[in-house]
Amino acid sequence: MSLRITALRECLDGAVPAFVATCAPDGTPNITAISQVQYVDGEHVALSYQFFNKTRRNLLANPVLRLMVVHPRTAAQYRLTLRYLRTETEGPLFEAMKAKLAGIASHEGMAGVFKLQGSDLCRILDIERVAGETVPYQPLVHALPALRTALARLAAAQDLESLLGRALESLEREFAVHHAMILMLDARGDRLYTLASRGYEASGIGSEIALGDGVIGVCAAAGTPIRIGHLTSDAAYGRTVRAEAERAGLGGLLDTRIPLPGLPASASQMALPIQARGRLLGVLFVESPLDLRFSYDDEDALAILAGQVGLALQDLEGSPEAEDPPPAEHPGPPARNGERPLVVRHFAEDDSIFLDGDYLIKGVAGSIFWAMVRDHVDHQRTAFSNRELRLDPRIRLPDLSDNLEARLVLLGRRLVERGACVRMEKTGRGRFQLRIGRALELVEVPATLRES
Amino acid sequence: MNETSRSPISAAFATFLEGGMSINVAARDARNLPSIARALGCRFSLDRRRLTVFLSRAQAAAVLADVRANGAVAVVFVEPSTHKSWQFKGGDAREEPLARGDAGRIRSYVETFVRDVTPLGHPPDLIRLLFAGPRETPPPDDWAAVTFTPAAVFTQTPGQAAGKPLRDVL
Repeated sequence: MSLRITALRECLDGAVPAFVATCAPDGTPNITAISQVQYVDGEHVALSYQFFNKTRRNLLANPVLRLMVVHPRTAAQYRLTLRYLRTETEGPLFEAMKAKLAGIASHEGMAGVFKLQGSDLCRILDIERVAGETVPYQPLVHALPALRTALARLAAAQDLESLLGRALESLEREFAVHHAMILMLDARGDRLYTLASRGYEASGIGSEIALGDGVIGVCAAAGTPIRIGHLTSDAAYGRTVRAEAERAGLGGLLDTRIPLPGLPASASQMALPIQARGRLLGVLFVESPLDLRFSYDDEDALAILAGQVGLALQDLEGSPEAEDPPPAEHPGPPARNGERPLVVRHFAEDDSIFLDGDYLIKGVAGSIFWAMVRDHVDHQRTAFSNRELRLDPRIRLPDLSDNLEARLVLLGRRLVERGACVRMEKTGRGRFQLRIGRALELVEVPATLRES
Repeated sequence: MNETSRSPISAAFATFLEGGMSINVAARDARNLPSIARALGCRFSLDRRRLTVFLSRAQAAAVLADVRANGAVAVVFVEPSTHKSWQFKGGDAREEPLARGDAGRIRSYVETFVRDVTPLGHPPDLIRLLFAGPRETPPPDDWAAVTFTPAAVFTQTPGQAAGKPLRDVL
């Protein structure tokens, strides 16, 4: 077999429908269009099994099939000879195909009709190029040099803030990806929160999505990249499937006060797990208003990029917390006569913080903020270190593995976005100070009083 | 002609299928290994009991060899804009010389197909290449016709009715 499937993967993306021929044991051939062919590796593809039809009966009885595919950009046609091996009904391959099929179904007005029953795994026995003329094709991005530049930029990141910035900048500059976000897994493991984004009207920093919800949530839950080339606004796999979260009992726990960022007319989406040593840390998400914007090659490149972000995150977490000597305290300016203080409300039930009635943040980031402003009001402190916050019993980190630095970045970005008169300013490695423009009045709301 | 032997294909449906459908053909060899090729259009006989599909010899060599060997054939029609789909099967397929007007039918089929799929985002020049065949054997020498009596017709539009014989769903 001189042709390799890896070089022909774009043929499998469904831009031009594929057809599969099978044969019954009595010698009756059968032919049908097939919704989805999934690249598995250099020797295998998987076909979507949605209905128990003639194709399925045939391949169970006579497992050799022929598949006809077309390269959507060159018009080259290929015939693949396949041997059916087995059907998978769970796991990464199944989840990736299920998410993709939902996107295809929605695109074709077949939502509710297409439901993946299984992934029919097949070994590729032969690939034949069908005689015919073709046109040359130049990809939009040459993945390898783009990746090299991007990884070099990531390697120079000194802290989380610059790591996030460099990752998003690389997507824009090297991969021409204009809409992207990075979400982190909450250590409780049931949701992700947006830590950085680029190319959206509202950044959505601090917005949350449940595990298993939408393209992002499915990617995280299954630990596998999800790539969809056609997506309509009513797609079942659209990003804010709140109904799912409600049913899962997470509705009340998800932070719905900050909307998840997103393109109003997103057509292509891809979510890639950010992992390190087999542990899920977050998700890299990209999207585009163009159909079929992301190819298999893009998926490979961005999967490597996401993997590198994961290693860098782990490296930043695991390295002993570098700390510069504490700078001198700079107490904030005294409240000017007659100026009303900023009212900071803390709701103990979910550690949510409101500044003069405007929602800021909740959860771990909320408890960090509350501890710091408490220290400021009681002891006139403005200088803090990551290390002391990590050990502070008032801050209930859900887990040792929780990324404190990510919470600090989240909090700092929310303060800037809300135009708050409290800001966090880095003063050295592992140290920062609060800049407070007004006097603060703290109001603690105990859990039981939440309803009033 | 009695009720059961009448073609289940109405004149209007035949004309519809002769339009801009995506048409693909399967056959099989003596070991039941399937073969597959894209068709270059079709025509129904006047009584609509015989269906002829056009193939490129260079692109469909295995299908043509299998048809010559055993006559078993399956043809699927897909309407690109709706994904509606029908499959015709027969056991008496054989290769025939192109009839008068077939070359014109093929050329007009390709243009109709191109016209129908262009709004779906496919560049016209690229789609024409799918039917162009190899430069070494230009049409009409490259073109072949395979004719058979459809013994069974199925609707294959995805959904609950998929795979049902046509007379049950019409």
